Amino acid sequence: MRGRTNAGLLVGGTLVGLVVLAALVSFFWTPHDPTLVDAARKLREPGGGYLLGADKFGRDTLSQLMVGARTTLYVGIVAVGIAALVGTPLGLAAGMTPRGWLSELIMRVNDLVFAFPALLLAVMLGAVYGAGTLTAMIAIGVATVPAFARVARAATLQVMVTDYILAARAAGRRRTAIAVRHVLPNIGSVLIVQASVSFAIAILAEAALSFLGFGTRPPTPSWGRMLQESQELLFSTPRLALWPGLAIAVAVLGFNLLGDGLRDHLDPKLSRIRGGEER
Amino acid sequence: MRRIGIWIAVGGLLLGTAACGSGGGNTGAGGGAAAGQTLAVGFVAEPANLDFTSTEGVAIPQALLVNVYEGLVKLDQSGQIVPLLAEKWEVSDDRKAYTFTLRKNVTFSSGAPFTADDVVFSLDRVATDWKLKIKSQLDVIDKVEKKDDSTVVVTLKRPSNGFLYSMATRLGAMFSRTGISDLANKPVGTGPYVLGSWRRGDSIQLKQNPSYWGTKPALSAVTLKYFKDATAMNNALLTGGIDVISSVQAPESLQQFADPNRFQTVEGTTNGEVVLSMNNGRPPFDDKKVRQAVRYAIDHKALLDTAWAGRGQLIGSMVPPTDPWYEDRTGDYPYDPAKAKELLGGKTYTVKMRIPNLPYAVNSAQVVKSQLAQVGITADIEPLEFPARWLDVVFTQGDYDMSIINHVEPRDMGIFADKSYYFRYDNPEFGKLLAAADEASEQDQADDLKQAAKLLSDDAAADFLFLFPNLIVAKKGVTGLPKNAIAESFDFTALAKQ
Repeated sequence: MRGRTNAGLLVGGTLVGLVVLAALVSFFWTPHDPTLVDAARKLREPGGGYLLGADKFGRDTLSQLMVGARTTLYVGIVAVGIAALVGTPLGLAAGMTPRGWLSELIMRVNDLVFAFPALLLAVMLGAVYGAGTLTAMIAIGVATVPAFARVARAATLQVMVTDYILAARAAGRRRTAIAVRHVLPNIGSVLIVQASVSFAIAILAEAALSFLGFGTRPPTPSWGRMLQESQELLFSTPRLALWPGLAIAVAVLGFNLLGDGLRDHLDPKLSRIRGGEER
Repeated sequence: MRRIGIWIAVGGLLLGTAACGSGGGNTGAGGGAAAGQTLAVGFVAEPANLDFTSTEGVAIPQALLVNVYEGLVKLDQSGQIVPLLAEKWEVSDDRKAYTFTLRKNVTFSSGAPFTADDVVFSLDRVATDWKLKIKSQLDVIDKVEKKDDSTVVVTLKRPSNGFLYSMATRLGAMFSRTGISDLANKPVGTGPYVLGSWRRGDSIQLKQNPSYWGTKPALSAVTLKYFKDATAMNNALLTGGIDVISSVQAPESLQQFADPNRFQTVEGTTNGEVVLSMNNGRPPFDDKKVRQAVRYAIDHKALLDTAWAGRGQLIGSMVPPTDPWYEDRTGDYPYDPAKAKELLGGKTYTVKMRIPNLPYAVNSAQVVKSQLAQVGITADIEPLEFPARWLDVVFTQGDYDMSIINHVEPRDMGIFADKSYYFRYDNPEFGKLLAAADEASEQDQADDLKQAAKLLSDDAAADFLFLFPNLIVAKKGVTGLPKNAIAESFDFTALAKQ
């Protein structure tokens, strides 16, 4: 890190920044109403106020992409939020009592949820409670909990054998205090990296669910549904599939690079090794 | 009227592939039975078994009726009832007795001869053994009697215009007295084809019946290949896996088949009215003015152009153009958002639009929502899994404000006469018109039904978005494709390959 630009962090940050910017701007302004159907503009070519053209309903593609970015981030934030808020305490608890029954219980239930594919869970929830953004977010979030719990547990195990934890225990601090004051701050960097990677997975999952018709409800723009709607026009108007596909790729790549970059940046061991190589 | 329920279910499921009409009475190609000529036709829903007397759904008659099983009469391409196993029929003056003269020298594929006894047997069996809800259509039959070996008299309880039409559906299919032991797997009929093989989950093959009484079909065999996905079916045609797509599910994709040197497109009509249903039984759509506002607020032409690539026809009421009492009612509610706003009186509404998760419905819903938003009605779209969830929530419980579904069953205006039907439309006058029509003379029947259709449109009982098109894509050189899909079967008898 020191004196060396982290390319992954830079590129990842830029791509994510682009998506976030598009989403933020869409709250105040889009070139056109993204859900306004207009037969006269059907499959309009790009240009003349319609930078990326219009789809088969005559809706402006750029406006749809911008509002779609909002949907994507919304799903990502809530899903990752659920996963982090539920998974981290579980992982902490399991990591701090490595040989207790609690740890066993948490990790076995964790394995159980791990074995269940996120998409299947989302499709099932959608069938029972009605498909929509909320059920998609919850399903993706629940399915991501085990990843957080595992990562948090592994990191906690490492931290628990350090001298400062021993010192804190010797000083008679309560477990919860140790967890919050000493463990959590020290595993934070690992969790941030995990959040970034999970975000990328959540974006893909939302797109897949919307593509299958179990995600965001029409007509709220969603990149996955834009792809699905362009499917039958793939041969005649490929740009309709190109743009949402590209948007998904950019967002997923961005969050993955950001996660990688953050890991390099935040992990002192890794940066020391790098530094050594340079010298 | 409950019987319609299952019909819609299946209809929506098949997305209107439901029914395909027959060609004329004779086979088209005239090429005789050139050995080895076969065709593969793509469909979207595979039957669970082959017994349409006990299993609901359009998939079975689509494959078997007219092809394997034949009735005394059938529907031709224009919707006329024409002779099939009956050479002719006479109707008594009181219109209660039908005397059918049967064709001679007809045998079942089992070798048994077809006689008047089989007719009596088949029609009696409808009431006693059939398990379908639609069998009530033949409740009007009082008795069926054999006069001699080739003459049968059917006596009705009251005059009915619907009777002969029902006889052209699967209800009128003729079974052999000795051929019903395994209907689910071994159909025995008098038709030009017999069941060859059935690879479950993949395809059904029909072979030519060597002892068919009429003109033998040009093909030695037809394979019905089943696809769950529209794109997969398109690709199968592009790569030569099938010769015909029986019903295009993604109309925008038709450009893939634009090359006239390789493909041909047949476009006709179906019985499928894509209806924007409104719950007449609860606010806000219990108010006629609000319903009328919705009809004025929708630009049907724009909807058809965007939601279904302009394929299909605008109708304006619950009657398809192939029915004799069709009138163009599209002028009743021209697109007029200003008038719609005026009818709403400045009020705004938020309604639940619960639709089946089928392509035509999801597409149409987005257009409807956008157009209703212009006049102050916010429609929250909620796609429900079809058929189970949609049937339960919307159709059975009636818990919805708006929905969109393709009503594929033929001559189905009567569903509006049932006030417990999910439209919750309640106008006694409409029911009276329909009852009168069934007993009236043919001319009065048409007049009554025209009036009924007008009443439905005036009351804005629902909005009628468009008539689902019959869209067939086939390889160049395939002939005898049915232009209109107005019967229950996909008629293979006229198909040929050049």
